[in-house]
Amino acid sequence: MLKIEGISAAYHSIPVLKDVSIHVPKGKVVSIIGANGSGKSTLLKAISGLIKINQGRIQYQDQDITAIPAHRIVGLGISLVPEGRQLFAHLSVQDNIRLGAYHYFKKSNRAEIEQSVKQAYQIFPILEKRSKQIAGTLSGGEQQMLAIARALMGRPELLLLDEPSMGIAPLIVREIFNVIVNLNQAGTTILLVEQNAKAALKVAHHSYVLESGNIVLEGIAAELLHNPKVKEVYLGG
Amino acid sequence: METISFTSQLFQYLITGLTVGSVYAMVAVGFNIIYNVTEIINFAQGEFVMLGGLIMVFFHVGMALPLVLAFPATVILVTLVGILLDRLAISPIRQPSVLTLIIATIAASILIKGIAMFIWGKDPFDLPAFSGRNPITVMGAVIQPQYFWVIGFLIVVVIALSIFFDRTIIGKAMSACADNADAAKLVGINVKQMILLSFALSAAIGAVAGVTMTPISLMEYDRGAMLAVKGFGAAILGGLGSFPGAILGGLIMGAIESFGAGLVSSGYKDAFALIVLLAVLFFKPSGILGDIEISKIKRF
Ligand SMILES: Nc1ncnc2c1ncn2[C@@H]1O[C@H](COP(=O)(O)OP(=O)(O)OP(=O)(O)O)[C@@H](O)[C@H]1O
Ligand SMILES: [Mg+2]
Repeated sequence: MLKIEGISAAYHSIPVLKDVSIHVPKGKVVSIIGANGSGKSTLLKAISGLIKINQGRIQYQDQDITAIPAHRIVGLGISLVPEGRQLFAHLSVQDNIRLGAYHYFKKSNRAEIEQSVKQAYQIFPILEKRSKQIAGTLSGGEQQMLAIARALMGRPELLLLDEPSMGIAPLIVREIFNVIVNLNQAGTTILLVEQNAKAALKVAHHSYVLESGNIVLEGIAAELLHNPKVKEVYLGG
Repeated sequence: METISFTSQLFQYLITGLTVGSVYAMVAVGFNIIYNVTEIINFAQGEFVMLGGLIMVFFHVGMALPLVLAFPATVILVTLVGILLDRLAISPIRQPSVLTLIIATIAASILIKGIAMFIWGKDPFDLPAFSGRNPITVMGAVIQPQYFWVIGFLIVVVIALSIFFDRTIIGKAMSACADNADAAKLVGINVKQMILLSFALSAAIGAVAGVTMTPISLMEYDRGAMLAVKGFGAAILGGLGSFPGAILGGLIMGAIESFGAGLVSSGYKDAFALIVLLAVLFFKPSGILGDIEISKIKRF
């Protein structure tokens, strides 16, 4: 479904991604693990069109999306849940969710949008209770749920998640990972970036290890879980 | 000559102040619309007001178009200037930093002023008042009917904008750009289009201010800069980015100016506004409504 072929990216000519190739098959969960600063978020930003790449190609469902600007990517079926949530902090929960449907927001789509809103509230009931609250005043866990809900409103076929477990209590992390598994079972393809390597490897089918901008290891997630090198560096021995 | 009581004198200053303040408030709202989407202070904001006044004179006096046609035609033309400003000066800048963009707006304002001088010359122009110049006496104060038009249009602008930002998805999308431009792109908002829209909107509001104020204070090519300073002062006073703050700031600014001119000396009229601006920057740079707690009502 998504094929990344040898991409390189840099900030102010400091290279951050070096010849990275990744394949995300339809219907699977693929995870990318790696230390701080290894380039995971940069990779997801490159896919979403938020940053330009210097080299390589990004292919999505037989279409070259390398040069497509960020605001048109979501319409193709790719939504990113960015690192640190990036909510519209001054707007209400409800407005954040509705804006998720911006790219198909029309009067004639009203019923469909209301249906999606309902679904989002079904997945995260707490958000319905807080629908009038200003997003910036939600708790960290609620904000993460809202960020996911907003991305889901875009009707993604491929969902990119950047560290959904960051700064969240274990119980909520489990809830969020359950949602990810359920979404995948319902047909959404998922590319998950995580520092919480154990959790990421457990839900993923396939995994890549990113180290200072290079893919150093890849394989079936369940096998990587037992790989001695992965164990030592990412799973704490 | 009958003696005017001190209370009606004060009332007179207040009404005059609120009228002038309404103009400042509209300029300040214009600043905020662009600032909220881009973090740019658009120094050409005052030129929109100047153009509004002078283009209205051209349509209404020069071409003798009736008010109901000349007014919207003026607003549309000035809105086009706003769109051109974005397309020619803002959007082409390749690696925009807030500073280069602000400098671009300063350059644009000098250019617009120059073109206006070329077209209209240096003399001020008058515009007939919308509903005549027979003053109304309220509590001993003499009020020009045009004052009500100015204040009335501020109210119209406020109501229209609050509907736009509260009820429409485009309005929400503009607020979203202000909050987080990258996240806005991720949900499919074309941020460049929203910036264009912000320039168009604030040009339109500037035009309304210019059209309504010209029958009271005339208009000439170089009025923009001082209006921009006062409007900017009002926006800072109310808390940059806050719409209720802009309106409050504008009205306070107008009132201070009017009372200062009446009670102290009219020679220092412009100084009062600047002193207020400096005092705010010294003591409370976030402005009256610029607190974090209140930033919830940052947008209408
Ligand atoms: N906007 C930026 N400007 C300059 N350098 C940046 C920028 N964003 C990221 N970098 C640098 O690029 C490198 C990779 O950053 P990136 O955010 O992709 O890492 P990451 O793997 O997501 O890390 P983390 O696990 O901490 O989120 C880092 O060295 C970072 O300092
Ligand atoms: Mg990251």
